[in-house]
Amino acid sequence: MELTLTVNGKRHTIDVSPDTSLLDALRDLGYTSVKHGCDDGTCGACTVLFDGKPAYSCSVLAAQAEGHEIQTVDALGGQQTGWDFTLDLHPLQEAFVEVGAVQCGFCTPAMLLTAKHLLDENPDPTEEEVREALSGVICRCTGYEKPVKAVLLAAARMRGDEEKARKFAAEAMPEVIPVPEVEAYRRVGQPDRKVDALKLVQGKPAFTDDFSLPGMLIAKVLRSPVAHARIKRIDTSKAKALPGVHAVLTWEDLPRVPWSTAGQSDPIPGPLDTFSLDNKVRFVGDRVAFVAAETEEIAEQALKLIEVEYEELPAIVDPEDALKEDAPIIHDEPEYVNFGESDPSKNIAARIRIDIGDVEKGFAEADYIFEGEYEVPRAHQAYSEPHVTITYWDENDRLVVRTSTQVPFHVRRQLAPVLNLPIKKIRVVKPRIGGGFGGKQEVLIEDVAAHLTIATGRPVKYIYTDEEEFIAGRPRHQMKIRLKTGVKKDGTITANEMYALSNTGAYGGHALTVVGNTGHKAMALYVGDGEYRKSPNIRFYADTVYTNTVPTGAYRGYGATQGFFAVERHMEKIARALGMDPIAFRLKNAIRAGEYHPFSLAWNEGRAPSPETIDTNALAEAVAKAKEAVDWDAKYGNPEWHTVPGKPHLRRGIGLAMLMQGTAIAKLDMGGAFIKMNEDGSFNLMVGAADLGTGSDTVLAQMAAEVLGVTLDDIIVTSGDTDFTPFDKGAYASSTTYVSGAAATQAAEQVAERIRARAAAMLNARGDGPEVNPEDITLADRKAIAPDGRAVTLAEIGFNSIHHENQEQIMGAASFMAPASPPPFAIQIAEVTVDTETGQVWVDALTTVADAGVVINPLTASGQVEGGVNQGLGYGTTEDMPYTEDGQPLVRAFKDYHVPLAAEMPRLKTIFVETFEPTHPFGVKSVAEYPLNGVAPAVANAVYDAVEAAVDSGPVTPEKVWRASHKA
Amino acid sequence: MHLEYHRPQTLEEALALLGRAEPRTLPLGGGAFLNAAQRPKTLPQEDVAVVDLQALGLDAITPRGNFADLGATARLQDLLQADLPQALKDAAALETTYTRRHLQTVAGTLVAADGMSPFATAMMALDAVLLLQPDDEKLPLGELYPFRFDHLQGKLITKVTVPTQAKLAVETVAPSPLSRPLVVVAVAQWPSGRTRVVLGGWGDAPHLAMDGPEATGAEEAARNAAHDADDYRASAEYRREVAAVLVRRALQALA
Repeated sequence: MELTLTVNGKRHTIDVSPDTSLLDALRDLGYTSVKHGCDDGTCGACTVLFDGKPAYSCSVLAAQAEGHEIQTVDALGGQQTGWDFTLDLHPLQEAFVEVGAVQCGFCTPAMLLTAKHLLDENPDPTEEEVREALSGVICRCTGYEKPVKAVLLAAARMRGDEEKARKFAAEAMPEVIPVPEVEAYRRVGQPDRKVDALKLVQGKPAFTDDFSLPGMLIAKVLRSPVAHARIKRIDTSKAKALPGVHAVLTWEDLPRVPWSTAGQSDPIPGPLDTFSLDNKVRFVGDRVAFVAAETEEIAEQALKLIEVEYEELPAIVDPEDALKEDAPIIHDEPEYVNFGESDPSKNIAARIRIDIGDVEKGFAEADYIFEGEYEVPRAHQAYSEPHVTITYWDENDRLVVRTSTQVPFHVRRQLAPVLNLPIKKIRVVKPRIGGGFGGKQEVLIEDVAAHLTIATGRPVKYIYTDEEEFIAGRPRHQMKIRLKTGVKKDGTITANEMYALSNTGAYGGHALTVVGNTGHKAMALYVGDGEYRKSPNIRFYADTVYTNTVPTGAYRGYGATQGFFAVERHMEKIARALGMDPIAFRLKNAIRAGEYHPFSLAWNEGRAPSPETIDTNALAEAVAKAKEAVDWDAKYGNPEWHTVPGKPHLRRGIGLAMLMQGTAIAKLDMGGAFIKMNEDGSFNLMVGAADLGTGSDTVLAQMAAEVLGVTLDDIIVTSGDTDFTPFDKGAYASSTTYVSGAAATQAAEQVAERIRARAAAMLNARGDGPEVNPEDITLADRKAIAPDGRAVTLAEIGFNSIHHENQEQIMGAASFMAPASPPPFAIQIAEVTVDTETGQVWVDALTTVADAGVVINPLTASGQVEGGVNQGLGYGTTEDMPYTEDGQPLVRAFKDYHVPLAAEMPRLKTIFVETFEPTHPFGVKSVAEYPLNGVAPAVANAVYDAVEAAVDSGPVTPEKVWRASHKA
Repeated sequence: MHLEYHRPQTLEEALALLGRAEPRTLPLGGGAFLNAAQRPKTLPQEDVAVVDLQALGLDAITPRGNFADLGATARLQDLLQADLPQALKDAAALETTYTRRHLQTVAGTLVAADGMSPFATAMMALDAVLLLQPDDEKLPLGELYPFRFDHLQGKLITKVTVPTQAKLAVETVAPSPLSRPLVVVAVAQWPSGRTRVVLGGWGDAPHLAMDGPEATGAEEAARNAAHDADDYRASAEYRREVAAVLVRRALQALA
């Protein structure tokens, strides 16, 4: 049907099917600022203004929009002015950039448009009204804190209320207690604007799916409707005969190459148990066949024409059933490649047995033994941008993989054998990523598109549907955890034992390393006191088992999240049983600076361990700051505070969790950086690191800029392209600021050395002052400055070096391998109100105080904390992915998986207590993961504080609270 | 999938399209349900033709004595600005997010509702009546759900009438403030003492627990109505007890 759409004042006549959504029509017209997220109006990324009101364009037919005015973010600011595409932003866009409200940027256009509508109707909204409006757009990166402040800031500016504008801008900043070293820095420690923020607030085509090629085919995957079965017969003849279908692939068409989809360094620390396609399906959602067709509709029709006969097998859903003697074997393929103690004949994907010290002696010396069982659920990362990949052959017959990934270099290496191509024949490009949180530390879909490009010779695009994300993504591992702790009467821990049973689902990519971190991080925090501190007694045993459920993978926190739920609930119970203050009990036993990381001699992600000392630890200072920030002493143990006047059925509670994480994987994680200087004194910084919205491009540029004496305007960052940037292991294990940042710093130092040498030569050639030594020159304000104040500009040096004298390309190249994995430490405190009659929990406030080393950029760092807290809140209260007994997933779409919305976020407070980590040039440690880990146990502990309901399984639902409080 | 799209200019034209035997033709309000990649299970799953109601002027909200007529295509967000019982407006606000409220229509929300809909639960407690065309047929909302699409085949809801003299209280329990409720209780009381108690939080539609001349026995009625309310989100035992608590609170709020 032909219709006319009016978009941003322009009329477009288009020919579409009656079924075409407004979203698809707009994107086909080139309005790619309107994002394709979930397809059913839950995520909100596709929001446009429809006659000035917000509307999900995925839920509106293009035909419905005829005769109406559609507005996208493309027209939110002013018009392009000459060469500069970024001037004349709308005050909302300005505010989003200024306060760091843009992280991955995928939802940013939707937030901006919703906010514009709100301010059009109400120029002076309250914070509550802003939160209510923004609740239509899900953001997993920011925790909504900064977007809300940005809208309030913009509104104040538009009203001319500068006083309030300053207030809202200030509220977006965290409190930072600095170390003395940072006083001399000019860029490090500054809330610099993100280098990628402008393009994102303008909705420019930065993401994988914003790119198209002529002749591009659409891929779809037929997925198993049953949990465990052999494929007896598969007939694709009808599908292949459908006009518009270019390829249909089944297991019979592809070589059987066992591999792991977990994006990790070589050798993969896990079993090779996956095939691109197999003659057996192992979970509902497992791959059965690939189709490439000219349109999505044809591809979907082709899927329906594929005939499959399954021989159903008994399915395992509960991980405890996987270990039973008579359990069905999920991986019986002969090609299976073991890693470590994996044993597919027993459904064991990974096994860990670690004994540190003498645990039995420790138990024998204890006055009390405390035992507990805990359970944590599967949880989805719920990034807004689905998995998406485009593959094509370039003009040199090399396969280009443009993909939304956290691990571009691992994608290239791991795809090569699967596709039977040499690594050098593959180029992986990571465009902007719309969030990942670990879910894209996986080579999850790239092989599908690549196989189809190889089969057809055509470009192929594959985007996960909403349902695929939930039934065939890579969520967090479900775990059952047992803890046993020996304690003296004075609260000294004498021994600590954990057994974790981890459910890896049908495939075991992260089976070993996730559960390894459950012990490595959570069991390392409390070492005991006195003599036990010198030689802790710790036992960590774990089994990761296969079940016929969705494979699990990496998710922010990476096993530590599960471990800390158990450990922090357990510590709370012990402290209360001993009648001790829960903070004092924890601090008495917590690891301190100068002590060995107890696991560093026992385990290192499946590789050789090496001893590591904790150099910096400001946990005690963070705790003191946190107590002050929440007024702990006035609340904890105060009966009056626990009541709600006039509402006898409500009780308040306060609870905490203490945390440690790591920073990169020691002696393994490596990243490189190139820097070259241009004539105008600007620099290209090329890093393999993958900024998935975290702000890593920005903080790496800040470190380089610090060394080079420039601002971020002079640093052009290119990241994550296997042809044009050096290797980087990718965005995981909290490594980028530490590893890639050190590489960028070292590369910048090489460049700085050459700049100083040339500057000295240029100054000395002038003969207008004393001789200058290169090492005495300071780089600042885009100049090389001699001690006597004479200077040459970097632009003069750039032209001189490239065109005028002794020509050279000033450049630096460095790589940095993590020498250690220095842990950040943190405390998180939750304040809740609980309904004693229904078990409903309202989380009122969440406070995080962290020692994350030196904070490179307080806006991006606090944004990481706020986003992590948002995910932790979901993990603690609403998020779960249950299965039926026969292996059918009960959550199949975003709409059935509630993540926290802007209007239901509690008050957030973030404080950094800095330390200077000596293994890094700027003293950094990681910031990204721990913020998620403490929220769930802190909420559970606060619930206990309120109503004495011991909830030991997540999420903390009203029924669990109700049952536990009635039991109590 | 949508086989055809029509935007009729008159009610008669719309009814003619909806009355066709083939293809199956459904009215399209905002599109929040019918156009979703995964339609709610309460809606037909097959390919359909759609009749867009936007040109028919069915979006007015009109007070009429002790009643209010809510146009079928009035948006949930519009209800929040209207002169309606506050608890009904709260239920509309709780139904979905700000953006979706600009999209979801009154009739679309009610027709697509499952048991977790606070708005449908509240409307059923108010004994809302649907006006169907042709023939000006009046259908109480509670009678719609058991045979949802048998009732609506070839017909069009043009407005929904709610009493404004009845008092309404809505109480919910949910895993988080804006997540779908595990239990929602709506109690409506008329000046005569008539009391209707409707429960939601599970199943394919809200459940009428009681419609009596007074409130006596409401808590027990709520327990009974939730006797088999088991699903993966909560147990029937929990829902029974909590429903009774919420009914008590709702009645206290109305007192």
